[in-house]
Amino acid sequence: MNEPVILRLGVPVLNQDGQQVGTLEKLVFSETERKITELVVRDLASLKRVLMTQVSAMSAHSIALSCRGTLESFPVFDPSEFEEVPTWFFPPGYQIEIGSLVTLKPSDIRAMGEAAACSRREFMARSTAVVAGLIGISLFVPIGGYILAAAKSKVSDHWVPLSIPVSQLPVDSPVSHTFRAISVSGWMRVPVERTVWLIRHSSPQDPMSLPEDQKLGLDSKLEKQFSDPLLTVLSPICPHLGCSPQWNENQKLFICPCHHSIYELNGSRVSGPAPRPMDTLPVKIGKDGEISIMYEQFAIGIPEKVRLA
Amino acid sequence: MNEKGKSRIVQYLDERIRIRSLMSFLLDEPMPGGANWAYVFGSMVLFTLILQFLTGIMLAFYYGGTPDHAWDSVNYIDHLTYGGMNVGRLIRGLHYWGASMMVVLVGVHLLQVFLWGAYKKPREIMWLVGVVLLALTMTAAFTGYLLPWDERAYWGTIVGTNMIGLIPMIGPILKSAIRGGIGLGALTLSHFFTIHTMVLPSIFILFVVFHMVIFRRIGPAGPFSGNSLDLEARKEFFYPRQILMDAIGMLAVFLVIASLAILRPPGLESVANPSNASYSPTPAWYFDWIFQLLKMIRPEILGVVGLPVLIGFVLILLPFFDTRPERSPFRRPFAVFSALVVLGTIMGLSVEANRGFRQLVPLDPASYTRGKVVFEKSGCMGCHMVSGKGGRLGPDLSEEGLVGHPEDWLVTQFVKSTSHFPNSPMPSFSYLKPDQLHDLAQYISSLGRAGWPDPTK
Repeated sequence: MNEPVILRLGVPVLNQDGQQVGTLEKLVFSETERKITELVVRDLASLKRVLMTQVSAMSAHSIALSCRGTLESFPVFDPSEFEEVPTWFFPPGYQIEIGSLVTLKPSDIRAMGEAAACSRREFMARSTAVVAGLIGISLFVPIGGYILAAAKSKVSDHWVPLSIPVSQLPVDSPVSHTFRAISVSGWMRVPVERTVWLIRHSSPQDPMSLPEDQKLGLDSKLEKQFSDPLLTVLSPICPHLGCSPQWNENQKLFICPCHHSIYELNGSRVSGPAPRPMDTLPVKIGKDGEISIMYEQFAIGIPEKVRLA
Repeated sequence: MNEKGKSRIVQYLDERIRIRSLMSFLLDEPMPGGANWAYVFGSMVLFTLILQFLTGIMLAFYYGGTPDHAWDSVNYIDHLTYGGMNVGRLIRGLHYWGASMMVVLVGVHLLQVFLWGAYKKPREIMWLVGVVLLALTMTAAFTGYLLPWDERAYWGTIVGTNMIGLIPMIGPILKSAIRGGIGLGALTLSHFFTIHTMVLPSIFILFVVFHMVIFRRIGPAGPFSGNSLDLEARKEFFYPRQILMDAIGMLAVFLVIASLAILRPPGLESVANPSNASYSPTPAWYFDWIFQLLKMIRPEILGVVGLPVLIGFVLILLPFFDTRPERSPFRRPFAVFSALVVLGTIMGLSVEANRGFRQLVPLDPASYTRGKVVFEKSGCMGCHMVSGKGGRLGPDLSEEGLVGHPEDWLVTQFVKSTSHFPNSPMPSFSYLKPDQLHDLAQYISSLGRAGWPDPTK
């Protein structure tokens, strides 16, 4: 790179005879050529445009032109045709005092006038926003659905045979029964062990044979349809915060070890912080006394019995 | 929001992050000669890259990158629905066709820059960064191909990595490093997944930023002809007209990708089976011409190493050897002619490669679903095994659809097996109606290609 050209505001501009014809006021920059093409010189009357080709010598102290006489015949600088150039456009190879560089305004602003061009700019900006919005909406709707798809996927209902006949269960004494089940985890089928409370009742007249859920009308259609007066199946999950209530044989009560929620044999809450009775699960008893249950999970911590999807 | 509220927010941000000058820096790019539809390709490529990032992140949400989960998780994605909309297949389709579209647009962008002579001084470095982005695009396409872990993915990658192994000196060690061992397995899949989803996107972001920063500092090249006074007079800024043109171009790209994703969703072949020796792998369409060249060039090493090195050298050296300032394609007949020859050769080779591929029967889901019933009712399972169920008397048909028998061959096989295999003990199923024979042929053609069980049910 050659020596940088130093252009200083206010330096005297001289003609070929060495007479001062004005002072440097501005520089005109061509964004296409990325260089300075004209000087704007202030003479006694006005601002005049001088092409760089008419400059014969340039230093930090003065600029010499190759013309004679005054600048009277030079074109007048019309500031409305030009605008300031931001500093990041300053061309390499020039050293310019900031604020002195101007460039030709874009043609549409000149041709249509600033007001008309502005409303046209506004229209194009709005159109761009509309196009971007179209792409955005048609992309984010499926993406939103995609993210929610797994969360909202329905749990399929499976009846699980427990391979234990009702007749083998003790009366009025809950049995914690463990069985193997398949848990769906994304694309996987994972074998898991689950536990339920099985409570055999002596007769349908026994008040404990009516689960509290049913009494309070918390059950869904499924649980209402599949219930048995001789057998209650309770979920092992405490509706308070998800711990596991244990059967206390002496007190004949379910007691949750975590926060001391206490339930009766039919799941009804005796005391403690639990918001609802223990959850009953749908049950079917086959002709040979085989028990089948449907394992459901419910939202914890709320008074309603809301099945998890 | 009203104008007053808007300007208050702008005012607030301007005091804190100088938003006005930032927006002006980003948007007030002077474009010599004004906005032009010819300049939209770079933005289109950027859009496809962003689309790949978005859909890729979505796919990674539900993807399991090990051989015993990859295929199942992709099948799971294919079956994800929301409100009756097949969102999983749509997202996967956008990613699949987005990749193809990106390769096309990178090619068009490169060709346009070449024809406009926009790689010449002072834009040599910007061109080099673009060459790196081209290489990244092709690597992303190659590594993404393996991830579904189906037959096509597995065998395509076997061939692809074997090609790397042919490189003299470093080839064998490079191949083993990429595969994570001698053979293709769990480590290959996790290597490819990591390269595809972590390494490449990071480098992509870095080089896209380089590309744009250089572009912003040096400015667009503008038209290849016209005097500078005239170009200066017709100058416009990037905002608003060019940005509108770019947005419309992006919308067009999106519409094409979305239509392809809906109308031609990507398939999933049966899970990678290293013992399936009869599988004939085909590359993604944009590598077809290399595939064909490899068939023609002997020794292979010349094609494998020579070709990419040659292409790389030409692209890298181009701006340093072609230093004439002339940019108009009309005054650069040799450059334009060479570009046309290269383009024509690539197209010709691709067409030729496609003629060599085995054409699989197009599938009709309704028909092959009916065909499955015919298959089960006609007692075919007595002799043939499909997905581990059935007899062993006849051949296992689990991947029969990938063999590529045409429909008339299959129908003849059902009705008169001895005309293909003289000693065949297969009974004649001539009592089946023509419709049923068609459905059955469709079902056999779908085996190993489609109709996978829905894991969300």
